[in-house]
Amino acid sequence: MPSTPATADLPAAGHSPMTTTAAPVLEIEDLSVRFATPDGEIPAVNDFSLTIRAGECIGVVGESGAGKSQSFLAVMGLLASNARVAGRARFEGRELLGRPAEELNQVRGSRLSMIFQDPMTSLTPHMRVGEQISESLLRHTSTTPAQARARALALLNRVHVTDAERRLDQYPHELSGGMRQRVMIAVALACDPVMLIADEPTTALDVTIQAQILQLLAELKREQGMAMVLVTHDLGVVAGIADRVAVMYGGRLVELGTVRQVLKMPHHPYTQALLRSMPRVDEPADAPLVTIQGQPPNPRRLPPGCAFHPRCEQAQERCRSERPPLVERDGARFACHFPIEWGAPA
Amino acid sequence: MSDSLLTLRGLSVWFPIGDRLFGRKPMLHAVEGVDLDLRAGEALGIVGESGCGKSTLARAVLQLVRPTHGQVVWMGRRIEELSLGELRPLRRDLQIVFQDPLASLNPRLTIGEIVAEPLRVHRPELDSAGRKREVADILGRVGLSADIINRYPHEFSGGQCQRIGIARAMVLRPKLLICDEPVSALDVSIQAQIVNLLKELKRDFGMTILFVSHNLAVVRRLCERVLVLYLGRTMELAPTDELYERPLHPYTRGLLAAVPIPDPDVQPARLGTSLGGELPSPLSPPSGCVFRTRCPDATAQCEREVPVFKAAEPDHHVACLRWHELRPQNRR
Ligand SMILES: Nc1ncnc2c1ncn2[C@@H]1O[C@H](COP(=O)(O)OP(=O)(O)OP(=O)(O)O)[C@@H](O)[C@H]1O
Ligand SMILES: Nc1ncnc2c1ncn2[C@@H]1O[C@H](COP(=O)(O)OP(=O)(O)OP(=O)(O)O)[C@@H](O)[C@H]1O
Ligand code: SF4
Ligand code: SF4
Ligand SMILES: [Mg+2]
Ligand SMILES: [Mg+2]
Repeated sequence: MPSTPATADLPAAGHSPMTTTAAPVLEIEDLSVRFATPDGEIPAVNDFSLTIRAGECIGVVGESGAGKSQSFLAVMGLLASNARVAGRARFEGRELLGRPAEELNQVRGSRLSMIFQDPMTSLTPHMRVGEQISESLLRHTSTTPAQARARALALLNRVHVTDAERRLDQYPHELSGGMRQRVMIAVALACDPVMLIADEPTTALDVTIQAQILQLLAELKREQGMAMVLVTHDLGVVAGIADRVAVMYGGRLVELGTVRQVLKMPHHPYTQALLRSMPRVDEPADAPLVTIQGQPPNPRRLPPGCAFHPRCEQAQERCRSERPPLVERDGARFACHFPIEWGAPA
Repeated sequence: MSDSLLTLRGLSVWFPIGDRLFGRKPMLHAVEGVDLDLRAGEALGIVGESGCGKSTLARAVLQLVRPTHGQVVWMGRRIEELSLGELRPLRRDLQIVFQDPLASLNPRLTIGEIVAEPLRVHRPELDSAGRKREVADILGRVGLSADIINRYPHEFSGGQCQRIGIARAMVLRPKLLICDEPVSALDVSIQAQIVNLLKELKRDFGMTILFVSHNLAVVRRLCERVLVLYLGRTMELAPTDELYERPLHPYTRGLLAAVPIPDPDVQPARLGTSLGGELPSPLSPPSGCVFRTRCPDATAQCEREVPVFKAAEPDHHVACLRWHELRPQNRR
């Protein structure tokens, strides 16, 4: 057992119970995203299926190019113009894919919100913070400007922006990165969404500020019962707040299970290798750091069979030619011909 | 204990900022009064939040930015007053690897030319066959095959570009390798490869490493000692496992608590334990202890008195007025 730093000596808190019985909020089925380019088609996302239930947080992890962002941009109808989408994405029972923009706009930013890594790209630079929050309210609800301003102030306080009254009249560039991300979250929360998709919301921030934002997201999930998708490349980030974890590789879902199943007893060799190659701050300096050879695949040239086979230590002949299907066991799913076995679940 | 390769004495780097205020330009104290002995053969980590002065400190060591006050002593010789011409021969022993692997490689040069460039400058006695040998040798050491010498940087992934950057820095076998966030732009699986490569190179060539990073987990695997900076000031310096297991400074404790651990049995409880607030403006740092505005243990005394960075225990330095009372008592 690695010794834990003094600062981590706190009673263990449990995750919220698995919400397998809660109603599905978003049902993604057989989603595929292809990009048309002069050099041919890029299969960025393939046969991606995932159901997110009310109040649960799903962590979506994987390395760059795995297809994490494009999967959820597709759901939001925010893909680049050279993208072709296939499959289904039902939000609160209604199909989102293929809906005209005006109809999508009614859902986007009100029932379903998304935040990104760089708040500067989604905040309007020449618009005061208060106006940006109010705008969404005025667009989606019947509110007077005065009510909207009061609500904007309440929202800034809700996301723990200090000195909120003054911030209402500031511009995004006058705020720190952490403060901007809080404002972005306030904008996303304006119309009480039932679901928030957060794409690398803390990647550009300092660890200290990241911890504050993650704490805020955990609090929002707990107190507002909001469903959440947290896209990240950091397994540590999902360990703190996700109920379930989806692992993507080469544009496909390769493993899905409860946070404990995936991080403690992964079935997929890629998940395990990723965990081993990530140094933990609570492990001593001389602990081994196992590396994964090679690099994440380029979706233009995905290896045949199992896309992970050139880097997999368990790979056998079959892995090179036959793509492993996603199979289910003990409520977990994984796509591997020779999965890691853990014996009877504890 | 090995000798000091590099010594910093009261090192300060100030930048003039913006408009004149009452006839004087305000000064931003990016690095303030840093004392440090870098021991030959060690890997020393420099950590702290964005803007705390890590890169500026590294650049001051290389004299890429000139110190405003203080001394930089390299192998017994003060170098902060040397001219660029006088510095040139020293550059052979002091090399740097940057964060953005692709941006730090000249796109118009082949890999062979990029890695050979330092040899042309610093080892003019080598003929082209000799240079080729050295280039092939170092490429092999960083895990690349020698047949890439005629290709260009854009043909390579981020991890491969970082290996090329390391090869260019190591081709002269420098005594000191400065790495400024060398793995921050890389994928998780590639970070581990680069950390292990640096460990191997250090074992084989015995160079000293100054490793700047905001990734505290990576620093723990690579470095023997770690220096914690806040607003340009040194807060704590200790052997690595000592610092991570018995941090004496409240800032170090806050930083460590913020690092997420990929373990669902441990991480949820850590979520609420990190530091509040944000870095104050370096243009108007707090009086007394600069950390006091975010310190959970600050008292009225911390507002008035500037803590001195001093040895709390042999080989463990800390700048906190209250370290003794706050020290974790019943731990090993
Ligand atoms: N407009 C586009 N045209 C062509 N290819 C694209 C386009 N947008 C994205 N892609 C490709 O789709 C693939 C999946 O990208 P995606 O953004 O989903 O990755 P990701 O998992 O979010 O990675 P990261 O961690 O880097 O954000 C990538 O290879 C990317 O280059
Ligand atoms: N050339 C410059 N002119 C003015 N201010 C500067 C200059 N270089 C750095 N600074 C300031 O000095 C302080 C320290 O910057 P530095 O880049 O050393 O921080 P850092 O710890 O490396 O941060 P990061 O983790 O973001 O790389 C910051 O406040 C920065 O804005
Ligand atoms: S299918 Fe084969 S190559 Fe793919 S992860 Fe499983 S064992 Fe490895
Ligand atoms: S001197 Fe005071 S404010 Fe500074 S770190 Fe120590 S206790 Fe905190
Ligand atoms: Mg992405
Ligand atoms: Mg820096």
